[in-house]
Amino acid sequence: MRSFWTIFRFSSWRLRWTVLGWGIPLMLLGMITTPFYDLVAENERQLRPVIQGLKPLVKSFIGGEQAEDLFTPQGFLALRYFAFLPVILGIFASVVGSGMLASDEERGILDFLLSHPAGRSSVFLGRLAATFLTMVAILLLAWFGLWLGVLRADSLHFPPGQILLPYISVLAVGAFFLTLSLALSMTMPSRVTAAMTAGFIVLASEILTNLAKAIMELKLAARFSPLTYFQTNAMSGLEIKPLIGLLAFAIIWTVLAWLGFQRRDIRVAGDGGWKLPFLSR
Amino acid sequence: MSKDSQPIIRVNNLTKSYGGFQALRGIDFEVQRGEVFGFLGPNGAGKTTAIRCMLDLIRPSSGSLLVTGYDPQRNPVAVRARCGYLPGELRFDENITVSAALHFFQQLRGATAACRRRAAVLSDRLELDTASRIKNLSKGNKQKIGIVSAFMHEPELLLLDEPTSGLDPLVQQTVMDLVAEVQQGGATVFFSSHVLSEVQAVAGRVAIIRDGSIVEVSETSALSARGKVEVRVRFACPVAPEKAKLSELTGVTLIASEDDCRFLEFTVSGNMDGLVKWLAAYPVATLETRQCGLEQVFHAHYSGKEKKASAISLS
Repeated sequence: MRSFWTIFRFSSWRLRWTVLGWGIPLMLLGMITTPFYDLVAENERQLRPVIQGLKPLVKSFIGGEQAEDLFTPQGFLALRYFAFLPVILGIFASVVGSGMLASDEERGILDFLLSHPAGRSSVFLGRLAATFLTMVAILLLAWFGLWLGVLRADSLHFPPGQILLPYISVLAVGAFFLTLSLALSMTMPSRVTAAMTAGFIVLASEILTNLAKAIMELKLAARFSPLTYFQTNAMSGLEIKPLIGLLAFAIIWTVLAWLGFQRRDIRVAGDGGWKLPFLSR
Repeated sequence: MSKDSQPIIRVNNLTKSYGGFQALRGIDFEVQRGEVFGFLGPNGAGKTTAIRCMLDLIRPSSGSLLVTGYDPQRNPVAVRARCGYLPGELRFDENITVSAALHFFQQLRGATAACRRRAAVLSDRLELDTASRIKNLSKGNKQKIGIVSAFMHEPELLLLDEPTSGLDPLVQQTVMDLVAEVQQGGATVFFSSHVLSEVQAVAGRVAIIRDGSIVEVSETSALSARGKVEVRVRFACPVAPEKAKLSELTGVTLIASEDDCRFLEFTVSGNMDGLVKWLAAYPVATLETRQCGLEQVFHAHYSGKEKKASAISLS
């Protein structure tokens, strides 16, 4: 337990610049986006026919059937802010999750760390907890920025607790991709390949989820897309089932990653990487 | 049998394979408590693989291991708590200071006051600047962090993998002194290296590993004694050595003659008395001897035959 806390504290401290590096831009994004609602509301008469005239496929990328919700305060935040957040956090989670252990392993740092009296489970859980805490801290900064923006906007009147709800759904999506990329990094030969694969899944999921709003045939496939379970409109109430679904998968990926880490040989610096037969000499 | 009376390392038929490549091919050896045990072999022989199995960093394909009385796979934390490890390729998080790194390692070891005190003493002794960021340090100075970390908790067993790599001669000597000191304090040192002279200087016993197999485990003194002594003699003026008397000397072989017999080189196995007495008849200007014991045995194992000096005849 002592080594868990030591690793958790040290890893959290190492990630402090990551919190600021991702959290401050997201905070600014929230502060900058919200005042635009006043402008959108003022120009509703001109903008609504434009949205109504869009083809369904184009419309699917700005909310599909909910595209006209842009003119309500809640809809505006859902479509212009929260719709992007899971993709941004998904990419972040893919990078950080794949590097959580594999990055230090490839740099040879893990080898020396594990020669100290720290079990693999302590290292795994200590780092996972620190990375999850980092994600929570980034989202809290983002929420704080959005709340400051809401305070500045004339037509937006939400209590801070209400705008916090979609962040819980974003966090569940982040946990899903964090643990997925971590599990991939324990099975794939290098950190980069795991990050790229997880990042590709994030983007593919985003495209599939949006297209399924316009193309009926894709509705079934979209059920397997993680971002389908992100609740853009969580400000009007958070559904528990999608949250539990995403978190259940996060637990499954965590267990698979933990098993992989328990069983693997710790590599030394320079190992890893895929060797393609036609490129190797 | 109590843990204290058991060998501190017991390796039994240990193998490790990576796909089709066998890094360790069923090695067996024991290291007794309180000894400095040399582990000799060139790069790629399997030295690091064996050490990493002892710390459960990698898992053996078959065979068994007991380190400090524990099976590393079942009780890795117990083994690591009793060991200090200095890897050959030492890497750290580069963006932190030396003191932050040492503080972290101390925390993992329970952060006892004794551990902190000893880390400070070792840092001073090695002239390690603890305020510097690790990324600004040379390879040798990074190695010093590893040395402090390996020795600071006064472990029962030190696993040193090429410990003097990248260090200047003064610090190399400090490390050798530290090894001798911890042995006097009752600790065991597993000293892996390809530098024969340093193993010969500190180790009581030596295992030689070749292509993943142990080819010999022996007392260092016994291995050294098996080797020959090289003797180089320069005479004050050209001499005409008596061939007949020289050939009667047992264990003496003339291997080089230059400069009109002003310079002769011999190898001697066993007693040198006969050669010294033979030389007494001539005006000797300089005489050099070199013990090439462990080196010769090592080369013998690696070349597959003794590095024999070829005798020449005086003409």
